[in-house]
Amino acid sequence: MILLVPLDPVHDVGLKMIKRALEEAGHKTVLLPPDMTPSEIIARAEKIRPSHMLVSRTLGYQAEEVLARLADLADAAGIREQTRMIIGGMAVRPELAQELGFDAGFGPGTSPSEVVAFIEGRPAPSAECAHQRAKKDLTAGYTYRFKDESVGRLAEQLADELLIWADERTSPAVERAELRYAALMEGRSVGTDYLALCDEVVRAAYLTGTPPKKTRHLTVDEQRHLGMLGERQYVASRPRSHPAPVLFVQYGTGCPFMDVAHIKAAVAWGADGVVHFDPSWGARTEGLLEGWLTHEEDGSVITPENLRAIRQALEPWVLWQVRAHRGLNTPETVVLAGHAGADLTKINIAYGSLGGGTDPERLAVDGVAAMRWAAKFSMPFDIVTNEELSGVPAGKAFASMLVMAALAKKVGARPILQPLFCNSPEVMIGGYMSDNYVDFNVAKVQVLRDILDAPVWPGAPVGFLTQTEDRVQSSLMTGLHACLAGFLRADAVTIASSDEAYSGGPITAAARTDTLTAVLAAARFFGSCVITPTAEAERFKRLIYSQICDALTAAQKAPSFVQALYDGVFGSRDDGAHPGRNGRGTVRVK
Amino acid sequence: MTLSHALSRVVDAIDIETFLLCGSAEEARKIALSMLLGLGFSDADVVSVEMNGPGARVRARTYVHRPGARYGWLGGADGGDVA
Repeated sequence: MILLVPLDPVHDVGLKMIKRALEEAGHKTVLLPPDMTPSEIIARAEKIRPSHMLVSRTLGYQAEEVLARLADLADAAGIREQTRMIIGGMAVRPELAQELGFDAGFGPGTSPSEVVAFIEGRPAPSAECAHQRAKKDLTAGYTYRFKDESVGRLAEQLADELLIWADERTSPAVERAELRYAALMEGRSVGTDYLALCDEVVRAAYLTGTPPKKTRHLTVDEQRHLGMLGERQYVASRPRSHPAPVLFVQYGTGCPFMDVAHIKAAVAWGADGVVHFDPSWGARTEGLLEGWLTHEEDGSVITPENLRAIRQALEPWVLWQVRAHRGLNTPETVVLAGHAGADLTKINIAYGSLGGGTDPERLAVDGVAAMRWAAKFSMPFDIVTNEELSGVPAGKAFASMLVMAALAKKVGARPILQPLFCNSPEVMIGGYMSDNYVDFNVAKVQVLRDILDAPVWPGAPVGFLTQTEDRVQSSLMTGLHACLAGFLRADAVTIASSDEAYSGGPITAAARTDTLTAVLAAARFFGSCVITPTAEAERFKRLIYSQICDALTAAQKAPSFVQALYDGVFGSRDDGAHPGRNGRGTVRVK
Repeated sequence: MTLSHALSRVVDAIDIETFLLCGSAEEARKIALSMLLGLGFSDADVVSVEMNGPGARVRARTYVHRPGARYGWLGGADGGDVA
């Protein structure tokens, strides 16, 4: 028998919820009326002889004295030997419960099932949940079949042509990736043949031990601490009461220590996966470094040691993505990521060429090689279309994305479509979201779903360019965008922190927890409700679809896919896309 | 616990968020920064400020540990092994 005591003049809702849960679990309960005195309660307990007495009381207004008196009277009556006394309510903490003479205390946010578990002597459901969480395969169940045959035919033809073209060529990055893989397999550092393919700053770092500016080697003591920090695994994570897409957060503070601290906080606050951000100069520099390196500015340096440290710090069920998409080290980054145990990477020839600063010819060669490495490591990758942020219309970006998806399928890789879920320049200029932030985003996801049976992972991050420096507004926007993605049955979303619009310093751990809190609260609010877009969404779908068809048709008429990139078929200078120049002239025919 | 020990537990930054009665966003910015400087924090910035009606909602920030620094929370004489 369990005695439920609402020692509060008005608030007994929580106890009634617990009563229902207990009875559903087969327990017998007695709920006392509210506002009984401690003496009256103990008198009832002496008659009932319950195994547990659950007391609910909001602290304050002399509540602590009342509770302490209740515990004292229970002692005096001799009922503590068979009755465990538990208190719950706002502001209750376990240590406070102990001070007041109770056996346990539950604070705000406690679910009825946690109380039932406690009474039955089982682990709390949230802890069980954390133990049982399994990594989700975002690509499971997708066939990669083009549902739209005409678009599929064009995309497949362009992919075939690009594959043949790329297989006849190589680049310093393609060769470095092979050398890096051999070195990793043999457990050694790279050799002089590798260094011959690197920029001077990288070569100097290997030969003299001097890291690039604004980076330094971690001390031996720091390395030891990093290992200890990483080994600490946290069981309990914030329970998710309602389904939401797989939640990714980005990290890349520059420092592996800070990254691990942020990752631990984010995962505890509900993140399912994390995305590694490297420094922007890493994309412009030929060659990757080795060693335990920390960086004073944004972006955490990709080295075998740094990646291993991050990997070690991740709870087993946390998905880990290392981006490889935009620079001069794309295939080698995939090799390092795959070898370090990353679950996902990121590759897109068009984005890296048109919005990432890398020469299209170079990234076409590197991108194909990177996809082959991703297939070798069985590592799915997203095809991010951030060139939209430069002003490229969504349809043009999607056209190249679909060619990349077709290409990935041909080399045995598993791509994930990553449309931007934001207020892009195209949208702002066209006034597409003057009424709401829903219609255009819905149209984008639905168009892709109509064309290809593939996973969709809106990003990156969702809500980009809708967030302000105000953390409440920023978190709310993130939460709503994540829920919109959930309504569209997106497989995952990448969310920003509430520092998204702040550029004056590094993102803080607290800012990461802000948006995670917002997403989970919004998911709780919407539950399985449906968000209905306006009729404009259908108009946007037609617009995007026609852009896709036009771009693919134009690309087919171009001399090659790469030439189509230079010619602006997938995003022109007028749109805001400029073919990158990094690595130009470095491709050679085999 | 000493102040320095307490600060060693800060992962990265401290934000002070409040509503200031003032005449402009610029005034709010200056007040917020002077508040942090007065508390002894030199690495101060204003993350957000919005002026409406009688005053401004402002959030000021000071970084206790920036990436790449040596963190108090990693342990040592003052910080203790808290990480």
